[in-house]
Amino acid sequence: MYVYRIMLFLVFSGYLFSPLLMSGWANPGAAWYRPFLIWGGLIALTLWLEQKRKLDERR
Amino acid sequence: MSLNLPGLLVLGIGYLSLLFLCALAVDRGWLPSRLVRHPAVYTLALGVYASAWAVYGSLEFANLYGFGYLAYYLGVAGAFLLAPVLLVPIQRMTRTHQLSSLADLFAFRFRSRWVGTLLTLISLLAVLPLLALQIQTMGHAIHRISGVGSPSLLALGFSLLIALFAMLFGARHSHLSARHDSLLAVIALESLVKLAAMLALGAVALFGVFEGPADLQTWLDGAGHVDQTRIAQLDPAQWRTLLLLFFSAAFLMPHMFHITFAETLDRRTLLQSSWALPLFLLLMALPIPLILWATQRLGIDEVGANAAYLAFNLSSSWWVDGLAFIAGLAAASGTMIIISLALSGMILNHLVLVAHPPIAQPDLYRWLRWLRRGLIAAVIVGGWLFYRLVGVRHDLSTLGLASFVGMAQCLPGMLALLYWPGANRKGMVSGLAVGLTIWLAGLWVPLLTNHPPMVFLPPGLDTLAGEPAWYSVTLVSLAANILTFILVSLATRTSAGERAAAEACSVDAVVRPMRLPLVATNGAEFKRHLARVLGEDVAQREVERALTALRLSPLDSRPYALRRLRDRIQANLSGLMGPSVAQDIVDRCLPYRHNGPSATEDIHFVESRLEAYRSRLTGLARELDGLRRYHRRTLTRLPIGLCAFGEDGELLMWNDALAELSGIEGDSVIGAHRDTLPAPWNDLLGQILAAPQDRLYKQPASLARGERYLTLHRAGLQGEQGEDGGNVILVEDHSEMKWLEDELVHAARLASIGQLATGVAHEIGNPITGISSLAQNLRYDTDDPVLLETADQIQALTDRVSKIVGSLVGFAHGGRHVTGADFAPTCMAEVTDEALHLIRLARSGEDVRYQNRCPTDQTVTGDAQRLQQVMINLLGNARDASEPGDRVIVEATPEDRYLHLTITDEGHGIDPRMRDHLFEPFTTTKPAGEGTGLGLPLVYSIIAEHDGQIEIESPPAGLASGTRIHLWLPLYPQNGEPQNSESTHEPDPDR
Repeated sequence: MYVYRIMLFLVFSGYLFSPLLMSGWANPGAAWYRPFLIWGGLIALTLWLEQKRKLDERR
Repeated sequence: MSLNLPGLLVLGIGYLSLLFLCALAVDRGWLPSRLVRHPAVYTLALGVYASAWAVYGSLEFANLYGFGYLAYYLGVAGAFLLAPVLLVPIQRMTRTHQLSSLADLFAFRFRSRWVGTLLTLISLLAVLPLLALQIQTMGHAIHRISGVGSPSLLALGFSLLIALFAMLFGARHSHLSARHDSLLAVIALESLVKLAAMLALGAVALFGVFEGPADLQTWLDGAGHVDQTRIAQLDPAQWRTLLLLFFSAAFLMPHMFHITFAETLDRRTLLQSSWALPLFLLLMALPIPLILWATQRLGIDEVGANAAYLAFNLSSSWWVDGLAFIAGLAAASGTMIIISLALSGMILNHLVLVAHPPIAQPDLYRWLRWLRRGLIAAVIVGGWLFYRLVGVRHDLSTLGLASFVGMAQCLPGMLALLYWPGANRKGMVSGLAVGLTIWLAGLWVPLLTNHPPMVFLPPGLDTLAGEPAWYSVTLVSLAANILTFILVSLATRTSAGERAAAEACSVDAVVRPMRLPLVATNGAEFKRHLARVLGEDVAQREVERALTALRLSPLDSRPYALRRLRDRIQANLSGLMGPSVAQDIVDRCLPYRHNGPSATEDIHFVESRLEAYRSRLTGLARELDGLRRYHRRTLTRLPIGLCAFGEDGELLMWNDALAELSGIEGDSVIGAHRDTLPAPWNDLLGQILAAPQDRLYKQPASLARGERYLTLHRAGLQGEQGEDGGNVILVEDHSEMKWLEDELVHAARLASIGQLATGVAHEIGNPITGISSLAQNLRYDTDDPVLLETADQIQALTDRVSKIVGSLVGFAHGGRHVTGADFAPTCMAEVTDEALHLIRLARSGEDVRYQNRCPTDQTVTGDAQRLQQVMINLLGNARDASEPGDRVIVEATPEDRYLHLTITDEGHGIDPRMRDHLFEPFTTTKPAGEGTGLGLPLVYSIIAEHDGQIEIESPPAGLASGTRIHLWLPLYPQNGEPQNSESTHEPDPDR
């Protein structure tokens, strides 16, 4: 259940700070794939938390 | 070379044929069920979210707002990241109560069929623009590629094909919540196709137009930078609003709700999709900017609605056009199929069945199936009409956003359903009505009329005046919706039914159902009552389906089981006809009895729910649950039988020890009324509950393990305020103690008689000896024949008295403690021969035939003299009972560690009334003056000294009359092994 709280925190933080993602479109210095990298990182984090949750529930 | 119309038709029909083939393969079982039911299939089916908007609309949006197009993907990804706290509770509710749509869920929670109807109308109004968007993209794509024919007619043909497919494979079950494997497999295949096509288009852009990622980056930093600066940036507030809209679409849109919750999949699969679906969407979103940048580099500058179809400009090759077309076709067809299925179910349950309840429909299942098929076709044709009359005038973003904002009006209701048990129907309907009105005026009606949006901006929000209509309408409508909802809910009263439903739906609450008895008393009566409304055939099938699911017997009459059966039937009917109609039918046909005791909480059910919810508990709740489980375990494993009854006499607990003692498993009786428990428990527990005292000692009870003696203790479970809370009863098995006490009493009686006999023998012996001596002297002192005869008579009488005294002394000595040290190997054949020799010396019974069949090679451990005494007594009794010519047979056979001897006569047998008292002193069946009544007690004592057993059988098995005495004496160990007196093979002590 504690893992769920981390997910809640992550999603809410993402909601607040996500407008930063859009600034990369017209920014000549930024890599075009940056938003997708961040998104991929978030998916990896979710996958890891999902494994943690399974362990937490098994206990 | 570009794709022409025949080529396009071949491609489209070929693709749809592939879908039919896939559905057929799953239906016929050509594909292994492990593959069909794989979690990946479910995740891919969830990809139905990526509709034509994801293929064409996103390009249009990216062309307008750059990375703003990502909101469509990130919003839904956020909802799935929160699957454990958001989607899993909804799934649990929909599965428990068989709710197959958002309207079902709201109607169930807010306990009103009109709420379901309202939700259905909103969904219909909101989804029509999205449906029109799918159809529009197909018509335009075909027209754009082929350049011939009318887009609307082409779209109609396409829509009819989709409708046919949905009717064939999506409405096969009458129960809406049944899993459609073939449909899921087809939607998963469509997701795979659109993903592959999009990735291929992205690859064409990246490696065909650009020369790889590095070239793209160089172009973006250089020549392409100017094009990018022309693209407007979404305001952060607008971006967040978009995120919120797409977040709510993940579980509010009918097609998403249908795939996520109505197709019955397990919780694990849903949790797995919390990362798998965002990954799928990431891959779907990735090619969009690549395609856009590639077309910009190629110098293609499409504006407005045409930007949606930029992918067709990537290359002049026919296969690139084909990829763009197939991606759109896969996305649009999947979304249309699921939307039509979901909406048809909602219309059926909340419009058609509410207006026309299916009372005693002859073939209900068939009628429902065909009704659904008709509604599927009607929804798709309705979508085409909306496109033809309205959609053609608008771009994809306008249509899509109007749809998403409309469905978002249900978001406050959904969140309240999960997290606010205080919300009520009036609040929800008021909030929804206000939000809906603002949405209709601001976005939906302008779609129809082409009039500018009518957005009412309250004072203080004037800054929204220049913002896009979708943005200001979303903010104002949602704010008004939420505010009205909260205020009205707080100001009005919530009904008891709504409170109960709120507890059932709330994330943090455990359902606390009440224990009320039902009018129907078993499964057969359920069928009879339901048949009045459903017809006999449907009633029988539904009751049997529920019984099978609950693994209950049709004859189970436990109130607990009947309540579960009622709930299950209601849930199943809800899947068939929606919660409103299901509740009406169940309330009417299977009512509760209200004249019984007042309703109390169903503790057993609450406990079973708590067990299921355990993984959701945290902190103090988890600690408390740990304590509860500890106390529960203590009671369950208590080595003394324990059961608990509610104040209405319903059994709430039956622990392991009681299950072992009674031979009745707890699961089969928990929830039963005390009177319906198997005998003798109904009477026994009824006695202690009715008894004025709290204990009943050593009550005889015939159990599967034989006759037992049970002691029962009762304690009341009154609450702190003195209210009745039922009773707890402890059941102790005191059988062994009772038998020991009986043995003790018997031994004490024998001992006291032995002492008495010794005293009497001593006191009588001396005078008798004197009398006998005097009679002897008298014979020597006279020759008078009369006196001599008198002396003989005196001597005969004194001999008889001496014999009685001798018996008394023998009995007294028989009760003495004899140790095994006096025992030696004794051949019972020899002992019997000697006893028979002495018996034959007696004057009576010469014509009785004796047969000694004891084997001479079997020896027992014992005292030969005393065993001879036993045999003389038993053979003497047999002789006395026999008629002339009868046989007395002595046989012996070894049985394990014992020699089993039988003495069988063919005499008159033993009076049954005497049989139980034969081993008590002074009990005799012989005429007065012939028996002392001490023989058999003496035999009993001697056999007990030898660690043996004795049993009397009269008449013996297979004989009409007579008696058979059974003796078991320990065999002398042949190979010198020590004799184990505590052998586990000793004869049954109960004998």
